[in-house]
Amino acid sequence: MEGILFAAALFCCALATAGYLLSLLVRRVALAKISTWILAAGFMLLTLDLLVAAVHWTGWSSFGSRHFLSIYAWVIAGIYLGLQLKTKTRLLGAFIAPFILLFLIAAAGQGSDRNLVPSQWQGGLTTLHLVLAIAGEALFVLASAAGAMLLIQNNLLKNKKPGPLGRLLPSLGDLDQINHFGLLWGFPLLTLGMIGGAVYAAFVWGGSWPADPKVVWSFAVWVFYGFLLHQRLAIGWKGSRMAVLSCLGLSFFLLSALGIRFCLATVHNFI
Amino acid sequence: MIGLVGLNHKTAPLAVRERLFAGCREQENLLGGLKAIDGVLEILHLSTCNRVELVASLEDAPRALDELESFLARYGGLTDEEAKTCLYTYRDREAIRHLFRVTSSLDSLVMGEAQILGQVKDAYRQALAQNATGVVLNRLLHRAFRAAKRVRTETGIAANPVSVSFAAVELAKKIFGTLAGRKILIIGAGEMAELTCTHLVGNGAEDITVVNRSPAQARLLAEKFHGAARGLGELDEVLCDVDIVISSTGAPTYVVTGEMVRRCLRKRKNRLLFLVDIAVPRDIDPAADDVENVYLYNIDHLQNIVDENIKNRRREALKAEAIIEEEAANYVSWLKELEAVPTIVSLRSKAENIVRAEMEKASVWMQSLENADREKVEALVHGIVNKVLHAPVAVMKEESAEFASQDIVAAARQLFRLDD
Repeated sequence: MEGILFAAALFCCALATAGYLLSLLVRRVALAKISTWILAAGFMLLTLDLLVAAVHWTGWSSFGSRHFLSIYAWVIAGIYLGLQLKTKTRLLGAFIAPFILLFLIAAAGQGSDRNLVPSQWQGGLTTLHLVLAIAGEALFVLASAAGAMLLIQNNLLKNKKPGPLGRLLPSLGDLDQINHFGLLWGFPLLTLGMIGGAVYAAFVWGGSWPADPKVVWSFAVWVFYGFLLHQRLAIGWKGSRMAVLSCLGLSFFLLSALGIRFCLATVHNFI
Repeated sequence: MIGLVGLNHKTAPLAVRERLFAGCREQENLLGGLKAIDGVLEILHLSTCNRVELVASLEDAPRALDELESFLARYGGLTDEEAKTCLYTYRDREAIRHLFRVTSSLDSLVMGEAQILGQVKDAYRQALAQNATGVVLNRLLHRAFRAAKRVRTETGIAANPVSVSFAAVELAKKIFGTLAGRKILIIGAGEMAELTCTHLVGNGAEDITVVNRSPAQARLLAEKFHGAARGLGELDEVLCDVDIVISSTGAPTYVVTGEMVRRCLRKRKNRLLFLVDIAVPRDIDPAADDVENVYLYNIDHLQNIVDENIKNRRREALKAEAIIEEEAANYVSWLKELEAVPTIVSLRSKAENIVRAEMEKASVWMQSLENADREKVEALVHGIVNKVLHAPVAVMKEESAEFASQDIVAAARQLFRLDD
């Protein structure tokens, strides 16, 4: 049952991604609207999949890395779909959906019984640490995707050639607001998540922490996003500059989340 | 048949259109007068600033069309020469296609504009109120509205603005998203600036400030938009507060310099700023465009966008023509069938009358028959009549679908003496 739900969600997401990209190619918003519905269906299926996993919860051993990677995809999709209720930025999906698909494909590559959270670390604080960090990082993905679109739109408008693509993409104002929203909420969530992790680590490892690459990278990402948020709120950086930096931040994040996970030895090897 | 007589902005100069427009408007019960013309069965009168047209369902077409033409010439005070050059006449398929093109805004001065559909609807409403239309024109108009809707939704003909002021509004939307609550600054008092501002206000912008070298003129324009007038010396300060600037002064040098914009951006914490410079020579230093989050468009940039959009509309018009062709063909086939229908009905009723009369005559000797036998004889007679009529009726229907039923229908009416 779980396998079927996950496969169906993956299929919906792949279809929605193809639809979004096609809508960019043929420049029809209608296709993006249909894709949004397909993505919403995929989101519901993924929700069900995670619910089934939660119902069958028999402790940490039943929760595998497939589920953790699914949560990434689930949070990004949920926030994106939530935004669609408020703004008309369907085309943002063309930039968001590939990320969701990427996480789901990575999740599909994991068994639901592999790379478990080591038994000595299982507990409430770990859950809090994981969920908050994942939600925060998902919001950064959203901020960067909006930033990437903003760069394209900005380029078209600055070159005085809005053309069909410019008409299709959301406005600079909307995209900047999404970028702002992603940073504003992503940063505190990540901060809380990291504090949760740090407090827990202090209990488990005491004073000396292992120099874990994931911890180091995440800290670097956190500092970088903190800097961005500061510049945005205090100095008033906006628009294309924020967009470029958000995209850089996303590259950091991707290296941290995927690169280290698959290439380096880390204690965070369960997600 | 369907006929259309009229003139438009392509065939008649403004003076002639004005005369005809006024002549028709002054006429009381215009539709009644038109309907009284011999051969006019149904009529619609469409009158806009760019065209005056009469669409009619006619009997005895050539004469009735001539009558309609002279009607227009009379009310417009057209000379023979003017009538010859300005008026056009279309029949049947041509008339249908023309009306569909007009309603879909393919024949408009600004192709793709939305107003014409409303004007045709108004004309139709008036005709309906005065019982001037019937089954033929009612369906024709409904089909025209359907064609217009399809053209609007299935092609991009109305998608992009084709005037400089609307192009500026579209750009503002692409920059800010919603225009609700946006603040506008008008520098100078050009007509184009005023028009653009009107469109922006129509889209939700509010809070207008006018800056002008002459305070009196600034106040005059500001009052129009319930805004505030400020002196040219306060420009620096005002610039920090607004979102959209429309500039059209006659100043020989830059009124807004790059340095001014750079300074104000810092003060406004990099909030987006949209500068529209429609003055020649330019009012805003092009260096302003180099500042981040500032978008400067001059008259050439806007005109280029408009030109591109016009080209695009022309491309889309080809798709629209195909839709019109399809819708016109649908209507024509319905109309053709309608031509044969009255003849088929009268042929059937004539046959029924004959059967009834003969059965009455035979009723004396049929009384001796058993009931069951009498019913068998009646069924036999009806069967024979239906078989005999089947072929001519089928042929009339087939031919009508091909738009060639006129001769066959006339022959049938003569052969069966349906008009006696």
